[in-house]
Amino acid sequence: MIRFPSSLRNRFPALKEPVVVDAQSKSWQNGSPNDEPPFPARTPSYDVLEAIRAGQPVKATIHEALDGEDHCVVSRDFRLFYGDSQALFDISMRVPRGRVTALIGPSGCGKSTFLRSVNRLNDLIEGVRVEGELTMNGRPVYDPDVDVIDLRKRTGMVFQKSNPFPMSIFENVVYPLRIDGERRRKVLAEACERALQGAAIWDEVKDRLNESALGMSGGQQQRLCIARAIAAEPEVLLMDEPCSALDPIATGKIEELIHEISQRYTVLIVTHNMQQAARVSDYTAFMYLGRLVEMGPTGDLFQTPRLPETEQYITGRFG
Amino acid sequence: MTTTTTPIMRRRGSRGGRGEPMVWVSLLALGSCVAMIVALIALIVGQGFSTFWPRPIEELTLTSGEILLGVPVRTESAGETDNPDGPPARRTLFRVGNKEITGQPFRWIPESEIVSSTLPTDAVLVERTAWGVWLGRLEQILEVSGDERTVVAEGDVAWAQLPAALKAARHRAREIESLREGDVGEINAKLESARLKFRVAQLRHEDGDLSDEQLKRAEQTLAERSTELQAEYDGIRARIDELDREDSRSRVVFREPGSGAISPLSSNQLDEPMRLTQVVRVVRTNNLSLAGRLGVYCSRWWEFLSTGPREANTEGGVLPVILGTVALTMLLSVIVVPLGAVAAVYLREYAHQGFMTSAVRIAVNNLAGVPSIVYGVFGLGFFCYSVGGWIDTGPRAPMSTGSWWTLAAGAGVALAGTITLMMSARTAPGVVPSGRQRTYGMLAKVGWLSVALLVMALLATTPYFKGFYRAMAPTPKFGAKGLLWSALTLALLTLPVVIVATEEAIAAVPRSMREASAGCGASKWQTIQRIVLPRAAPGMMTGMILAMARGAGEVAPLMLVGAVKQTSDSVISAEPPFVHLDRPFMHLGFHIYDLGFQSPDSEAARPTVWTTTLLLIVIVLMLNTTAILLRGRLRRRFRTGAF
Repeated sequence: MIRFPSSLRNRFPALKEPVVVDAQSKSWQNGSPNDEPPFPARTPSYDVLEAIRAGQPVKATIHEALDGEDHCVVSRDFRLFYGDSQALFDISMRVPRGRVTALIGPSGCGKSTFLRSVNRLNDLIEGVRVEGELTMNGRPVYDPDVDVIDLRKRTGMVFQKSNPFPMSIFENVVYPLRIDGERRRKVLAEACERALQGAAIWDEVKDRLNESALGMSGGQQQRLCIARAIAAEPEVLLMDEPCSALDPIATGKIEELIHEISQRYTVLIVTHNMQQAARVSDYTAFMYLGRLVEMGPTGDLFQTPRLPETEQYITGRFG
Repeated sequence: MTTTTTPIMRRRGSRGGRGEPMVWVSLLALGSCVAMIVALIALIVGQGFSTFWPRPIEELTLTSGEILLGVPVRTESAGETDNPDGPPARRTLFRVGNKEITGQPFRWIPESEIVSSTLPTDAVLVERTAWGVWLGRLEQILEVSGDERTVVAEGDVAWAQLPAALKAARHRAREIESLREGDVGEINAKLESARLKFRVAQLRHEDGDLSDEQLKRAEQTLAERSTELQAEYDGIRARIDELDREDSRSRVVFREPGSGAISPLSSNQLDEPMRLTQVVRVVRTNNLSLAGRLGVYCSRWWEFLSTGPREANTEGGVLPVILGTVALTMLLSVIVVPLGAVAAVYLREYAHQGFMTSAVRIAVNNLAGVPSIVYGVFGLGFFCYSVGGWIDTGPRAPMSTGSWWTLAAGAGVALAGTITLMMSARTAPGVVPSGRQRTYGMLAKVGWLSVALLVMALLATTPYFKGFYRAMAPTPKFGAKGLLWSALTLALLTLPVVIVATEEAIAAVPRSMREASAGCGASKWQTIQRIVLPRAAPGMMTGMILAMARGAGEVAPLMLVGAVKQTSDSVISAEPPFVHLDRPFMHLGFHIYDLGFQSPDSEAARPTVWTTTLLLIVIVLMLNTTAILLRGRLRRRFRTGAF
């Protein structure tokens, strides 16, 4: 485990476990009045991260390669607050269409929050407020006259832990169509087969479509969730750490699947796994403490990052 | 800087540390709970199941020279004795029956007074339709016409012929019964309906809706109909009389050995032998094999479960009581479960979780603690008298037409305003409302509430409604004790249980399910309908089980709003509408109370109290088991194969 410097812990109580951090720093202070942590930070502080920690506005480093792309999701100075605490700071990000974009960064940096802002799933949490601009395919996401239901119908979402409904496999996949009132058996069956084939699970389940989805293995359940997410042909597919609860074999299958899916959909994926980001994504965005730090083609970002901080994170020297 | 610290000693093996005394205390507490429950169940099951077992009939000779037949019930120590050195005095309670002669069907006899006791094989116990049991010996089967008595059979021949004779008698009795209950009842109903029609005409004439001419015609119709029905009735009456005369010819003589008295036709005709149709069952207990005893035992249980009560409920069966209890419990759950579930959905899913919601939740929880008799008083005052009275005869204090229309106009304005507010508060689906829209929405809610109150006030005071059953007045139809009001009162009583259980079940639906559904583009209602409610169904079933158990066992409020000692018309019957919501009913809980404490002969009622208690427990158990099995089936759907 890599420890944050004490100055960082003190300034950002929002770092998941503020109480623990406080208690620890105090216990250090008991013996040493000069506030020097007993374990010196392993990484020296760099300008950008230091600035972010100091709460100063930082301009994200965006690679030029992004300019040549057609953009699907675009945010400009997007800010999000949970009640009084701010979770996202001036995010200006362009997500290219028809590509896989990975969001990386240490825990609590706002990757998932940003992802869930795209289909406004954060609205389910009370006290969430946003500022700035976010558009999907040129249409604003947060304007007052936006139909949230319609917006969510245009996106598909896959969650960290597989969450199939307690229904049959068939009913799980066609759920998005069912809630649209689709009743024609033929249409539903075709959509089901297409989605399950798209999620590379058709051969495994085609003979037991009417069995409960809860009887499947974890990896199968997650692929079923992907099938459900793509059943209604969304414009954007959002994936929130889809492999974090799976074993390496299931993870491999899902990664392969993401690669295939990326031919047809715009995919935005949050991951904690550097190798996974490197394997599946075309573009990578590095976030830190609610801010976008650097974004560029995955190959460039991993091999020749512009910022030393990004390199530090990618090589695992902090985070 | 150095500080001295006291080293901490950690001790092991202290008695308190291992907590052994507490283990024993908690085990003891659990053990005593289990012991008490087991004792309770064992007592009820033991007593309940042993009641109908045929017991031996003893023939006793007493020191006074008296000879009598009796069935020993129980023996106890008689307290003080004259001879302190001798064995303790004991006395035995005998069921001696023969109420017309002895006046006391149960008699304590001290052991010291008994000279001899035998078990005669020819002694019979006769269960009769009235006046309890008769103990004696079968002497003759008679044929009586006028004053002339012909002996058909005597002694053992009579005993051999008795089953066939009884069967024929039972057949006759059923025929007479069906004529009395069915045909005569039907004519009475027709007559009543004709009378009601005329009463309606009379009332309309008073209101000026009918001319004198029309009233006269109605009167004439009634007269014609009455004569017609009277003729029909006379025909049936004649048939009944004929059957009855025929029936009165077959008699049977059971003679008591001591006094030589015979089982009489009625308490003031002690010399006339009883009719065969007055016999329910004749048992020669002492002569029965085990299989025979078992047969009597089963036939008594069957009688208990399949017939109505006799003799102030102490004999006969409890079929109407079972029907009443089951009808009440079913109706109660049909009312309370949807109501509670919908209320819980709003409270948990839609209402803003703030001060008001907490207040409502606390209030609902507190409702569960209100003594049940309070609900009874409320039910009687509100449901029976106010609502029921309104249904019967319309508002008790109607407004004048002018002020009523003014109020109606006010309600109209409120309705229009509320609808306007609602329209301005409406947003496109899924759009977050603005601050002003939210205010409008709140006002609209207040508006709906006041419109609802106004409409209720309008209904309660309308001068244009005279009730649905005005012609029956002053006999109430809905304005008195009844099944519907009892079910509503108990629904109110059990509502908190259902709301709390449903709310907990809804809260336990994992967040990931809701997010998955919302992520698919489902609206809030679609998520509730397709994901939340199915998953919360087992929890709702738990609420229903608790409500049913409580409703089936509740007595106090029912005494006020619906349960009665005896009913002539069952709440469930073959005539439409099959379940009679307006009728009072019999209820097992109340029946137990009535038998135990209100019965004229507590000793005779005692065994029935046990069997009825057993039955109540079994019925509650059966209802609960059904619900639990159903819940298990629902739960199985949500068990996941993966972790």
